[in-house]
Amino acid sequence: MADKAPWLYPYREDPQQTRLGQPVFRPFVPVSLAADDASTPELEGLIDTGADAILASDLLADELGLDLADNEGEELHAVGGRTITARYKTVTLRLHHHDDSAQREWEAPVGFVDGWHSFGLVLLGNVGFLDHFTVTASRFSQAVAVEDRNRFDDRFGVVLA
Amino acid sequence: MKPTRTDFKGYEGKYVATDTRTGQVVIADEDLKVVLEKARKLDHVVVGGRVPYADEPIYVGLG
Repeated sequence: MADKAPWLYPYREDPQQTRLGQPVFRPFVPVSLAADDASTPELEGLIDTGADAILASDLLADELGLDLADNEGEELHAVGGRTITARYKTVTLRLHHHDDSAQREWEAPVGFVDGWHSFGLVLLGNVGFLDHFTVTASRFSQAVAVEDRNRFDDRFGVVLA
Repeated sequence: MKPTRTDFKGYEGKYVATDTRTGQVVIADEDLKVVLEKARKLDHVVVGGRVPYADEPIYVGLG
């Protein structure tokens, strides 16, 4: 993705939520998960800057043949006023281009959550996604741009604490 | 850029996959495994997940 134009994705409608009776659009991008010889088809991945990690439905772990009892760690997360348990496994992730067959592949830990069956089967948070890409989301433009992670420093300079 | 609209009416309680270019639902089933399997064979299709019923409580964050 280095030295290439950003990959642009239109916001997509979320059937879960309405705001004052109006449709809600979110920054979904197509991703797939892979482990060993197994992989998922393309999935709606919701970019979430408020999430610490990548979380996914445990149904996808079944699809990949992963044994979540043999995990790399368990974490409790407080989400939506309740507590969930995520069991982490490192898998291969693929970000798919909106229009063509291009894809970007990397490895990251994914926290698989039991009983997560709602829309948007993958939540793309800071560790594992936002540390791999520079993401620019615009509700005004109804689109999200994903590009090489070094583009942020190129554009704004290195931010020192 | 225009956002991608999808008419989810009639698919409540089912897992769905949509065409990334049109937003139309192209696969729907009560079993996610069926949707995943059918989606593998199609281009420009992305699996979204389960469409809730209108009166179903929705959590903020993970549903």
